[in-house]
Amino acid sequence: MIELKDVDFSYKGTDEAGLHSITLTVNDGETVLLCGESGCGKTTLTRLINGLIPHYYKGELSGSVTVNGRNIAETELYELAGTVGTVFQNPRSQFFSIDTDGEIVFGPENIGMSPAEIMKRKEQVAQDMELTPLLGRSLFELSGGEKQKIACASVSALLPEIMILDEPSSNLDWKAISELKNIISLWKSQGRTVIISEHRLWYLAGLVDRILFMRNGVIEHEWNSREFAGLDTDELKRLGLRPTKLEERYIREFGDGIFGSSTEQMRSYQSKDGDIRIRDMFFSYEKRRKKELAADPDKCTLSIPELDIPRGSVTALTGENGAGKSTFLRCLCGLKKSCTVKLDIGESVYSGRKLLKICYMVMQDVDHQLFTDSVTAEVCLSMKDEDTAKCNGILESLGLLGFKDKHPMALSGGQKQRVAIASALAADAELLLFDEPTSGLDYAHMTSVAKLLKQLSDQGRTVIVSTHDPELIALCCDYVLCLERGRVKYFGEV
Amino acid sequence: MNDKKLGVRDFITVGIFTAILMVIEFAFGMLGYIHPYVVAGYVVILPLASCIPMMLFYTKTEKFGMLTIMSVLIAILMFVMGMGWLGAPLIIVSGLVADLIAKKGGYRSFKCTVISNGFFSLWICANYFPVIVTADSYRQGLLEAGYTEEYCNNLFGAINIYTIGILVVVCFACGCLGAVIGKAVVKKHFEKAGIV
Amino acid sequence: MKLHIDPRTKLFMIFAVSIIVMIPAVSPATWALRTGVTLIPLVLLLFEKKYIPALAFTVLYAVAAVLTLLFISSESTGVLYALLVGYCGIIVQFMPSVITAWYAIKTTKIDEFMAAMQKMHMPDGISVSLAVVMRFFPTIKEEYGSISDAMKMRGILFGGGKVGKMLEYRIIPLLFSCVNIGEELSAAAVTRGLGAPVKRSSICELKIGAADITLFAVLTVSTAALIILKTGIVG
Repeated sequence: MIELKDVDFSYKGTDEAGLHSITLTVNDGETVLLCGESGCGKTTLTRLINGLIPHYYKGELSGSVTVNGRNIAETELYELAGTVGTVFQNPRSQFFSIDTDGEIVFGPENIGMSPAEIMKRKEQVAQDMELTPLLGRSLFELSGGEKQKIACASVSALLPEIMILDEPSSNLDWKAISELKNIISLWKSQGRTVIISEHRLWYLAGLVDRILFMRNGVIEHEWNSREFAGLDTDELKRLGLRPTKLEERYIREFGDGIFGSSTEQMRSYQSKDGDIRIRDMFFSYEKRRKKELAADPDKCTLSIPELDIPRGSVTALTGENGAGKSTFLRCLCGLKKSCTVKLDIGESVYSGRKLLKICYMVMQDVDHQLFTDSVTAEVCLSMKDEDTAKCNGILESLGLLGFKDKHPMALSGGQKQRVAIASALAADAELLLFDEPTSGLDYAHMTSVAKLLKQLSDQGRTVIVSTHDPELIALCCDYVLCLERGRVKYFGEV
Repeated sequence: MNDKKLGVRDFITVGIFTAILMVIEFAFGMLGYIHPYVVAGYVVILPLASCIPMMLFYTKTEKFGMLTIMSVLIAILMFVMGMGWLGAPLIIVSGLVADLIAKKGGYRSFKCTVISNGFFSLWICANYFPVIVTADSYRQGLLEAGYTEEYCNNLFGAINIYTIGILVVVCFACGCLGAVIGKAVVKKHFEKAGIV
Repeated sequence: MKLHIDPRTKLFMIFAVSIIVMIPAVSPATWALRTGVTLIPLVLLLFEKKYIPALAFTVLYAVAAVLTLLFISSESTGVLYALLVGYCGIIVQFMPSVITAWYAIKTTKIDEFMAAMQKMHMPDGISVSLAVVMRFFPTIKEEYGSISDAMKMRGILFGGGKVGKMLEYRIIPLLFSCVNIGEELSAAAVTRGLGAPVKRSSICELKIGAADITLFAVLTVSTAALIILKTGIVG
């Protein structure tokens, strides 16, 4: 049983939101969902239960937190390891080992369990979670979804009675999310207590017993699963939550082409004059000569002989993980030297290095593309000649003018994304590519990204956005491009 | 929880920064094969190239031992990469001295940090140790291994018992200079961004 | 066939190879010994089915060795020779150690490594930090890859010609992401009990097998032989 009594917490030294007078009891075997906008305190609440507060994150804490009769403040983290397990948001950063087996047994080894017992647990966990194909592999070669599964297994191997998941689906695609869902229901059926903090709600409906809505560090609402399912779209929007029901609606709207499994090639878009034409996009990870690639398109990782994309539109790029979405984007903006792609825009043809000038990609991890110490400097870095008026104009249009002297890394995730967009605009990129810009965002932020993409296309830029969020497609995309095994499966209007 | 003792978090921090430092070291170390003077030039290049991560590391250092562990790791890695083991004790000594000096300043005094980084940088000189101590056989060895007379003359002209004093002083100075530059960059970026 | 070598043997191998490469080879006997020792990690790589790195290494080493023997003498001077000497220097001097180290790191799992460190009574601080170093090299490679892609898109790969900027643009984003990853990594590690004051167990059974003993013997004998031959010649 988890009991929080009158808990107040504020972080030391940062503005990160704290918690105010939280009182909460979670019974054994309950599955609880924490939802609310980013910065509402969901993650902080999970940290209180797994002991990271006060042992790892320092701050002012009052009130009492008890887990299974133990006072958290007086229990060392390693003593909690067998009681509370936590799966974190980022699959890339939470593993300690290099190989999958080592990662699964990492926890039990730390607490000094006997080798025989550890082996038994490893086999049990691998069997329960259907991990056998992943055993004995390097973690660095796994996809995000697979890494997240290993993270779940690693936590599970300690057999904790309480499982905490902090935005576990942020970096996952549809298929991986449904596997995550299976894992959570497995834990539930084993009678464990599960606490999930999450923005994506659709996959959890029907799985959770109790839903807590948080705002500004306070638990504002509490629903049971029936009441929660009954909330209508407007109500959810008002609370800033993402939809709770997705699948049927989006499958109806976007057709089988995206979410179904049929393999026949569909193409419902008829090219027009003035479209941007992508030609000869062949790419293979095995190093080959360019001529061979074109001659033997069957062996290519990515093979798109010809594709017309309407200028000034927003196109959603969808497909399962490993379908080639990222490769497509990277080839298009000229980052894969051996790719043969050519781009016809109006009269001009772009290929090779010239692509870097005309295309710009906003990466999923936007931190990698911020280099300077102020937003203004960041934008000016993209210009050949510094043009303050133009820079201010761009910042104004993106709502960043108020932050122009701030360090880009001091901004929130959404603001950082806009800084990256601003530098793309400053570089006069015609084609803007986005790699999963809304994974891990709450409803309000997703809507603002959608608005922004629309705004960019209204200014005449062509936008291609890879995404796993059907909500985003519904909000702003004009066309959907679906890839499968590096081939176009479907391209048509929304 | 005992706040004086080093914990897992500190060990992980040390590991990460050592990895970054080594990557920088390898990247610039390769330059040494262009000309032996570059080998002597490490005393200038390396402290300056690694000053930003070092100063960021200093902001994360609050307890005694982190700098020492880092120097032990560097010694082990240098050994693994074939730099021999003669320099290893010296690397650890420079780390230990750096740690003691930083500790004297409570890990917050800028002056102590600058001097501490100067001493820490001396691990670079420790790698010259075999060149000097075993100069004659080392030289003969190089010649026999196919190095040219010219290369050896240059190498031993640049690094010998007489110049080592200068090299150590230059290395120390560059370590201090690096600390000042690194600190400025840390202020410009990491403090402004609110990370430290 | 999979050959299992104990991490401690690998460590000894690194030690022996690093001694051997520091002893210059002159006479045919020493040359043979040295080349023989260099072959050990190569054979081990073949057992691990790492054919391509093994081949690449062999070619590099062979070319360097041939060049050294045929073209470079103590009297040669000039820029080209300096470069050639540099190249051969790296290969002949450091490649054997590098390939041994690479083999050891590639084939040692983190928990195996931690177990070996524990057996050798290394303090926790050193074994945990070293494990993190091993785990972080590939991470730095990944992060650096994304950063240099971003630099290409911005056209700032060469920092506008300024060395300081070139370094700054590369290091700053790298440090930001490494620090973030480190924070999350530590949190994930401590919630899974790392740092518990108990003896860490391991599912890797560390056993000194026949292969280990053979390797140990071969390395000791060749190192000793090389030292004796060498001092014999000098004396």
